[in-house]
Amino acid sequence: MTAASVIALGVLLLAVTVLAIVLRPGRASTLEFYLAGRRVGVATNACAICGDYFSAASFLGVAAAVYVSGLDGLWYAAGFAAGFVPVLLFVAAPLRRFGEFSIPDFLGRRLGSDRVRLIAVCVVQLIILSYLVPQAVGSGITWELLVGEGVFGLTPYATGVVLSTVAITALVVFGGMRGTTWTQAVQFLLLLAAFVWLAVVVLASGFSYPDAVAELDAEPLANPVLSDGEWGLATEPNRLDPGAPATFGEPGGRYGPFGQLTLMVTLVMGTAGLPHIMNRYFTSPTGTAARMTTVWVLGLAGLFYTLAVLLGTASRSLIARAVPEEPWLAKLTVDGVLRVPEHAPLVLGRIFGGEAGLGFIAIGALIAVMSTIAGLLLASAASWGHDVYERHINPAASQRQAVWAGRGAVIAVAMFSAALALGLRPDSLTALFPSIVATMVTWAFALAGSALAPVFILAIWWRGTTSRGAGAGMITGAVTAIGMFASATLVADKGAGEVLLAPTIVAAPLAVLVTVIVSSRTPTPKDLDRLWLRLHGTAADRRATRLARLTIVGVNGDRSGR
Amino acid sequence: MFRQARSLARVRDVRDTGAHSPLSDDGGPWAADIGDDYDMPADVDASFRTVRKVAVGHFAVFLCVVVGVPVLTLTVGWWSGGRLIGGMSPSFVMAAFGLYVFFFVLAVAAATLSNGVEERMLGEQEREPVDESDDS
Repeated sequence: MTAASVIALGVLLLAVTVLAIVLRPGRASTLEFYLAGRRVGVATNACAICGDYFSAASFLGVAAAVYVSGLDGLWYAAGFAAGFVPVLLFVAAPLRRFGEFSIPDFLGRRLGSDRVRLIAVCVVQLIILSYLVPQAVGSGITWELLVGEGVFGLTPYATGVVLSTVAITALVVFGGMRGTTWTQAVQFLLLLAAFVWLAVVVLASGFSYPDAVAELDAEPLANPVLSDGEWGLATEPNRLDPGAPATFGEPGGRYGPFGQLTLMVTLVMGTAGLPHIMNRYFTSPTGTAARMTTVWVLGLAGLFYTLAVLLGTASRSLIARAVPEEPWLAKLTVDGVLRVPEHAPLVLGRIFGGEAGLGFIAIGALIAVMSTIAGLLLASAASWGHDVYERHINPAASQRQAVWAGRGAVIAVAMFSAALALGLRPDSLTALFPSIVATMVTWAFALAGSALAPVFILAIWWRGTTSRGAGAGMITGAVTAIGMFASATLVADKGAGEVLLAPTIVAAPLAVLVTVIVSSRTPTPKDLDRLWLRLHGTAADRRATRLARLTIVGVNGDRSGR
Repeated sequence: MFRQARSLARVRDVRDTGAHSPLSDDGGPWAADIGDDYDMPADVDASFRTVRKVAVGHFAVFLCVVVGVPVLTLTVGWWSGGRLIGGMSPSFVMAAFGLYVFFFVLAVAAATLSNGVEERMLGEQEREPVDESDDS
């Protein structure tokens, strides 16, 4: 990375920090700190959700998956986007209408139980850590590859982990949800701009997408492997047609008969249980706005992932052709194929934009990591600060005390995840997992989709859901998912291993079954009718809309009167 | 004018107190002052059932497509082996473009229908004619 790129990154970090400070909550209020006063507009919130959701796994990982596996790699992108359809249909509007601060708070209120709230806090914290640690690892890897130098005696990897954690912790502590919302929205627009720029220059160079697929499909799919200390290309076996080689444009490069389905179910269900994404819906002014926000998210996600898939295909086609003319590619590739597939968009950026192009895409990667870390830290803060401190430790806390408890939680969780990321040095785990980052992110989706999403959706749509049923369902989903995932490390990722690695297809129905059985034997909350009005009624929406109109009329009246 | 001023005062109250939610039972100002907007339980129940039908119906379509694509991959040779645009098979075109368009169209349809149902079935009392002299 050039000095210009480092300076650009520094300026970007500074701009983000200034934005957070300028937009920081005006007064010490938990409503401001956690929910930006519930006044985030549809377009802004959609961009912020995208900034929150599109982590390094989306920015680098999707293109990498397509680069390595061809058609089978496309299912990661499709699954990430598809996850918002159930959110729109079943969660967004009623969740916002019920209000509250977090998923545990919602479940605790809806089911009238502190026990359920605490169980949900434990599950939420597990999901957040599973998501947070790989993001910190990703920032360390990105820094190591692109800057290659450490500061204050730290290794490059540790420098990346520490600097990104400190920067984002400061942003969240000072900016709260309002500052984080705006910076995430800006960060998403930068991510999208990076992909749009790269796609435009690639297509302008004469690249033909359909012809590239035809060309790549003409020969077997081969990827680099390290064998006896020597790098070489190995043909990928076709998992749908044993004995035949896999090709870029046909299925079988990555998944067997069940792999594609189990991955889709895990990603689709998991999105509805991700705490940092669901918490964003509480910031919408109304339930209808939350629903329309999701429509925007689906449109933006479609655009983003279409570009990511195009760039993965372009990387596979163009990098091999560029090797003879670009000597620096020799140490990154084996016979024209990248050793580390996550380098694909970065290398493409350098081929078409030189050092500045590489810097632009690298900054996009770091932004993707940082915006996701910010969302996760806020979700963690809401869970510890509000659900535990305000509800259980100090119920008489003032607004100022509660906000500082949230800020303390942000710092503690950030330090803990950074320490875990430093301990989980990725190259020491290469023998255990092909990619610790991808494995842990999938784990977060699997846990969210198995333990939280089923109970969450039942609590919204089934009046019969009880606190005991929900508690039993969450525990069943979590234990099943953890058990199956742990078993997957003992089995290869073929056959049953495909289901064990993406356990939601088994764990979620089991969680639903247990929730229904236990709920049908235990009493529902006494004030269920009132809770139901709050969940599915629109009186609060109409009131908020009317007041907004009156406020606008009032403001316009004031202006015209001057 | 009085109603408008009272409503604006409520906005200021909420800002000043940081009340948790419009219908908070934490003691915020909204809990005691339901005001002009309210829902009848029977209306909410009817609206809930209709919106649930819309959600389940759209989810069934979503599920058919999302599950249908892998099933087609396993059962229909042309789906993966045929060529639609250049080297792109129907399966590739669906995964690279078609699914995102489908998700968006489905989302627009479901959101429009759900919003329409809620608008028609709830808040009827606020659309009833009011005495204009109240505002004078």
